[in-house]
Amino acid sequence: MISAPVLEFATVGLGLLLLLIEAFATTLPRRTIAFAGILGLLAVFVATFFVATPPPNGGFWNFYTADPLALFFKRFAIITTILVLLMMIDYAPVVRAFVHGATTEAGVGEFYALPIFTCAGLMWMASAIDFIMIFVSLELVTVSFYVLVGFMRRNAASLEAGVKYLILSAVSTGFLVYGITWIFGVTGETNLARVASAVIAGVDRGPALFGMALVLVALGFKIAAVPFQIWVPDVYQGAPTPVTAFLSVGSKAAGFVVLLRVLAPFFMLPEVQRLLVGIAVLTLIYGNLAALPQNNLKRLLAYSSIAHAGYLLIGVVAFAGNAIAFYLVAYLLMTILSFAVLVVVSQTGGDSIENFDGLSRRSPFLAFAMLIAMASLAGVPFTAGFFGKFFVFDAAIRQHHIALAAIGVITVACGFYYYFKVVRAMYWEAPVANTAIPVSALTRVAMVALMIAIVVLGVYPTPVLNALR
Amino acid sequence: MLRDYVPVLLHIVVAIGFAVSALLVSVLLGKTGRRTRTKDSAYECGMVPEGGAQPRFSVKFYLVAMLFILFDVEIVFMYPWAVVYRESVVQSKAILWSMLSFVSVLMVGYAYALKKGALDWKK
Repeated sequence: MISAPVLEFATVGLGLLLLLIEAFATTLPRRTIAFAGILGLLAVFVATFFVATPPPNGGFWNFYTADPLALFFKRFAIITTILVLLMMIDYAPVVRAFVHGATTEAGVGEFYALPIFTCAGLMWMASAIDFIMIFVSLELVTVSFYVLVGFMRRNAASLEAGVKYLILSAVSTGFLVYGITWIFGVTGETNLARVASAVIAGVDRGPALFGMALVLVALGFKIAAVPFQIWVPDVYQGAPTPVTAFLSVGSKAAGFVVLLRVLAPFFMLPEVQRLLVGIAVLTLIYGNLAALPQNNLKRLLAYSSIAHAGYLLIGVVAFAGNAIAFYLVAYLLMTILSFAVLVVVSQTGGDSIENFDGLSRRSPFLAFAMLIAMASLAGVPFTAGFFGKFFVFDAAIRQHHIALAAIGVITVACGFYYYFKVVRAMYWEAPVANTAIPVSALTRVAMVALMIAIVVLGVYPTPVLNALR
Repeated sequence: MLRDYVPVLLHIVVAIGFAVSALLVSVLLGKTGRRTRTKDSAYECGMVPEGGAQPRFSVKFYLVAMLFILFDVEIVFMYPWAVVYRESVVQSKAILWSMLSFVSVLMVGYAYALKKGALDWKK
């Protein structure tokens, strides 16, 4: 039995070790660093099952919790990072082409080491129950993302994405800190549980709600909710594809965990409810409608990520932790799978949907993987995406948010159109070239595992639902 | 509660009011000088300005400045730590270990920067 914080320390230690290997073992192939990272993270993943029950609150445990929700999202972060690292191995040639250094391999080692630090930040975020802790872990995640997003420094699009992400993210951090200040100013507490009891005891509601609204702005930025979604399309398109996948899954999931924890004290206030419903409706409509005319798959997935934030927000409105957790798992599987296919296919041409024309004849395996991913993203029955949406709508209807669920169902129809645009290109268009697309064995294994997981969870969702109990 | 902040509001109003009125009065009552090309150019200690206003700097300056701040902040943290925990460090080793772990993270960063030649000016 180990104490929960050891997990994060081990992850940070792993990241530091990889950085040292990158600096000192210059003759070692860079790929080894990625494999070492994956193995290390697997060890941490196994260790999450042997966490001792935390002692009652006091000292450090006022800032940090190891409840089932935290452990669940720690595992979530680790699996995401492992899959992103696998994708990065495939993506390394692109990074090599856009980072010029002393050697041809310059920068690739750091590209593999940085996600480990992001992972540590995500794990801390899952456990944070104090505004200070939330802020610090959020910054660890964001700062490592600044570097990753603008990593390909000879690529204008990546640099542009990096600058945009840096500036907008810094602004949102400003909102977060200012909001925390207001809440602290009224309640005199930064611990979420004590803030809750202060709000219930009846402090001045106005300033507390104002602070809460500012915190919501910052978290809205993280989860890409309308009207804080402006950065998403450009940053997602410009960033290296594995980083885009990481941003859209890791950053979003951590944002939702924090949102659930932060909202708990304020949830019974009708103002907060109305605000959340408004944001959810706007996000659903904007994300789905704006995705319709997209021709670039990365951009399409960016808008789809906004749309999925909308469905997740329905879950937040209903305050259904289980439904959100299941949705996020489904979202992880299908998003990572579609980005993994994109990484392989885009190296033969580009990111636009035309590059997928006739993929079924060039590589039936990749086309089928993409088909599963797109069907799940759209919410076809017998895929994980279907149950994700089902549980969220079910929770909303139970809470009598019928109109919200109705808007959700209508926008799902919208989603079918743009996701199946990709499927149509793959199966009904003439191929752009006749060359087969090679897929490495490791990627193939990862993709098969993701496909199986999507289908299994689409039939038998109980394991994930039980994980939070 | 908000009433306590009335002086602050007053301060803001006075500050803005003074600035606006001073500008307004100078526009209304003051004389405008003749404008020439030389007068409109940037003032550089009375010398004729040379070159562009935004010259390019070597990125090394930023790198060194950044590293300096990093390790400077380390000292900033260490000093209050040493002062506050001077007596209690004997009782609890956790205080020592937490500082050592903080320093070791920075040491890894230092080793990395050194090996990558970040402090090698000629490279």
